[in-house]
Amino acid sequence: MSDPAIATEALLREPWDGLKLPEEQALSYQRTGATFGIWIFIASEVLFFGALFLFYTAVRAEHAEAFAAAARETNIVYGTVNTALLLTSGLTAAAASRASEHAALIRLTRWCLVATALLGLAFLVVKGLEYREDIAEHLVPGPGFKLPEASAQLFFGFYWLSTAIHGIHLMIGIGLVARLIVIGWRHPERIPGNPQVEVTLLYWGFVDMVWLFLYPALYLAGRSG
Amino acid sequence: MSAPVSAGAVWRRVLPVWLGLMALLALSCAAAYAPLGPWNVAVSFGIAATQALLVALLFMRLDSASALIRLTAACGLFWSAILFSLSLADVLSRLTRT
Amino acid sequence: MSTRVAESPASLADPDELALGLPESYLSAGSTLGSWLTTTDHKRIAILYALSVTLFFFIGGVAATMVRLELFTPQADLVGADTYNKLFTLHGVIMVWFFLIPSIPTTFGNFLLPLMIGARDLAFPKLNLASWYLNVLGGLTTTAAVLAGGIDTGWTFYVPYSTTFSNTAVTVGVMGVFISGFSTIATGVNFIATTHLLRAPGMTWFRLPLFVWAMYTTSIIFVLATPVLALTLILVAAERTLGLPIFDPARGGDPILYQHLFWFYSHPAVYIMLLPGMGIVSEVITCFARRRIFGYEFMVYALVAIAVIGFFTWGHHMFTSGMSPYAALIFSFLSFVVAVPSAIKVFNWTATLYRGQVGFESPMLYVLGYIGLFTVGGLTGLFLASIPIDVHVQDTYFVVAHFHYIMVGATVSAYFAGLHFWWPKFTGRMYPETWAKFAAVLMFFGFNLTFFPQFIAGYLGMPRRYHVYPPEFQVWNVLSSSGAAVLAAAYLMPLGYLTWSLFFGARAVNDPWNASGLEWRTTSPPPRDNFFGRPAVLGKPYNYHPEGAEPVHDQPRMPSQGSLT
Repeated sequence: MSDPAIATEALLREPWDGLKLPEEQALSYQRTGATFGIWIFIASEVLFFGALFLFYTAVRAEHAEAFAAAARETNIVYGTVNTALLLTSGLTAAAASRASEHAALIRLTRWCLVATALLGLAFLVVKGLEYREDIAEHLVPGPGFKLPEASAQLFFGFYWLSTAIHGIHLMIGIGLVARLIVIGWRHPERIPGNPQVEVTLLYWGFVDMVWLFLYPALYLAGRSG
Repeated sequence: MSAPVSAGAVWRRVLPVWLGLMALLALSCAAAYAPLGPWNVAVSFGIAATQALLVALLFMRLDSASALIRLTAACGLFWSAILFSLSLADVLSRLTRT
Repeated sequence: MSTRVAESPASLADPDELALGLPESYLSAGSTLGSWLTTTDHKRIAILYALSVTLFFFIGGVAATMVRLELFTPQADLVGADTYNKLFTLHGVIMVWFFLIPSIPTTFGNFLLPLMIGARDLAFPKLNLASWYLNVLGGLTTTAAVLAGGIDTGWTFYVPYSTTFSNTAVTVGVMGVFISGFSTIATGVNFIATTHLLRAPGMTWFRLPLFVWAMYTTSIIFVLATPVLALTLILVAAERTLGLPIFDPARGGDPILYQHLFWFYSHPAVYIMLLPGMGIVSEVITCFARRRIFGYEFMVYALVAIAVIGFFTWGHHMFTSGMSPYAALIFSFLSFVVAVPSAIKVFNWTATLYRGQVGFESPMLYVLGYIGLFTVGGLTGLFLASIPIDVHVQDTYFVVAHFHYIMVGATVSAYFAGLHFWWPKFTGRMYPETWAKFAAVLMFFGFNLTFFPQFIAGYLGMPRRYHVYPPEFQVWNVLSSSGAAVLAAAYLMPLGYLTWSLFFGARAVNDPWNASGLEWRTTSPPPRDNFFGRPAVLGKPYNYHPEGAEPVHDQPRMPSQGSLT
């Protein structure tokens, strides 16, 4: 696939430029390397969040009733809306990723990147509103916590920590997407075929996947009581 | 690389996946209120796993990725499984219900 | 990318060369501090790491010195209990995370991995530089914890003490380790991608030097184990600073869960600290025995097996924690299993020596010491894997001696072996061999004098992490502390003569040891882009003799180019 509109020379980095390959092949190899690298990192992040979910599983197993009672206090509307927002951002990210392979689809790529970032920001806004409500309802662990059982606080310890960690990852993702938007605005020729687009959007997809598991963990437990 | 070249072709690949994901979201939300006893957990996380699989395969394009990349993704899952299974082997065997 | 051409003989590897359009060495390519601090050359980054790693080694060593000084006498006469706790914590934290874990991978791995596979650099050079900065930032953060009064939880940060009761700078300390974790994950990603994608033509997987395999398997552990530690440290920091209930038993938390999460990382971490040294041993022992490695494929499988099975054994640190006995049995069995590949490696190294023409140059002395010390350490590890014995010696000096035999006896010996073996390649200088031999022998004796008495003291019941002890243990402690003095001298000597060699040592040729391996097929030190042209690999590694052949009596040393096969 040789697309003459791809700015190969601007995108080539060392050491891929020293492989004595024709430029397009070198860039393709660089892209393979970048994609492989981010997937290795994603595997490490799977273990990071896996450890967090192990904590959740262990304490939920140890305190099933208190967890169910605590989980009912989360706001399922906010949670479901946020999940929908993130899934939609995953759609625009996937579209951007596919479109970025073709210089002809540069406008689609750039608009999808903007949509992805905006949907991510919308998630954070909704989360902020939710946090405000949670604080008002005394759902912060500590003295004056809403529920009497001590182990109900464990659930909310997990809630605040996991949503904060996920939020930080999401902010990093928004930052990375914003960076691509700026590159696309200043040097539009550097977006098509750029390995960094694939890397950023794979990271985004992963952040999406983490939330897909946080949603049932935080919002769907104890509802059928 | 056999990739679509028109904007319409791009949307035709990703939009159905999104519709499926949203449908699963609605199902998950509704099922949480159904009195399934211990199956509630299995259903809600099972749906989440299905959605994650769709995102990984079709949004993150593992379906057309090289074997090396798929193996890398699988390693993350496999190692998480080690963490979970051996830790829970201890935790669950010491369980006193509260 | 054009290579800089040397304009004067002084910037070449060998100053007797005429500057006939040859590339200048990587050390001369840019002489400002800025060129070093913004470099993306894997060789320069390796040197940067070597400097930071050495600094942390000596900080950790100072803490150890004070610990051993205090333990000369059964009473507390040098430091009080709180200070003592902070000293052994500092020693453990610095030595584990800022010396042992980075040491071989970031210095030798960074320098040699691209050279050994015939590549120009690592896959992600800028990420490599970022790794170093993250490592240094982490180290400085943890050092800040020391300045803020220290940490007294032990390097294991067990809860609920570290989260609820300790009044020391735990959060700052764990944040330093957390930051450096990103450094190691990034290095792991870099090494894995490089090994998969940047091998020279002809360099197939089963022609890779065992050092490369060691870096690769270590990187897998980096990438898969470190994130669990990262999360665990966040949990500790969150509970301490935000008061979130995580491990607090009063609010339903489970302290043993912390131990599962901590040791899921920390057991594979000891293999991070072990496997790279094994890679070095394979490189050095083949060269100085003039033999191919015995059983190359099984050496590879052993590295992979140790890395993988090592993930299944973490519960053996928790036999006395109140963990379920069923889980304990599983972990004990798997801990026995993981010893098998390590034993295979020791047997194969020994077989490599068989009918070889063994030379006793200083790198080889360190390696021979390694094999003996690793065997003792590994064997005592098996004793500890046996639950009844572990229950008796858990939290005694027996355990301390066991892991120091591996970490110091084996890994640090390997580090020094590699330092001497590749010193000509890194610096272009030879060091004074007699001093080096003396230091190697002194280190072996000093090490054994320090740590063997600890096995005895531990078995007799002396607990670890205590600064006061019953007088019947004093004899063992005096022996151990005396040995520590000898060991300290043995560590300072290389610092001295290696530094001397930088200015006054003889210039090294491309291949002073007549070794196999692509790193020796370029100048000492190498140019910025590693090789003149693109190397291609024609045969298996360690081509020290024709395959299947016994050595010829009085076989002359092989020429540095070409081979008999």
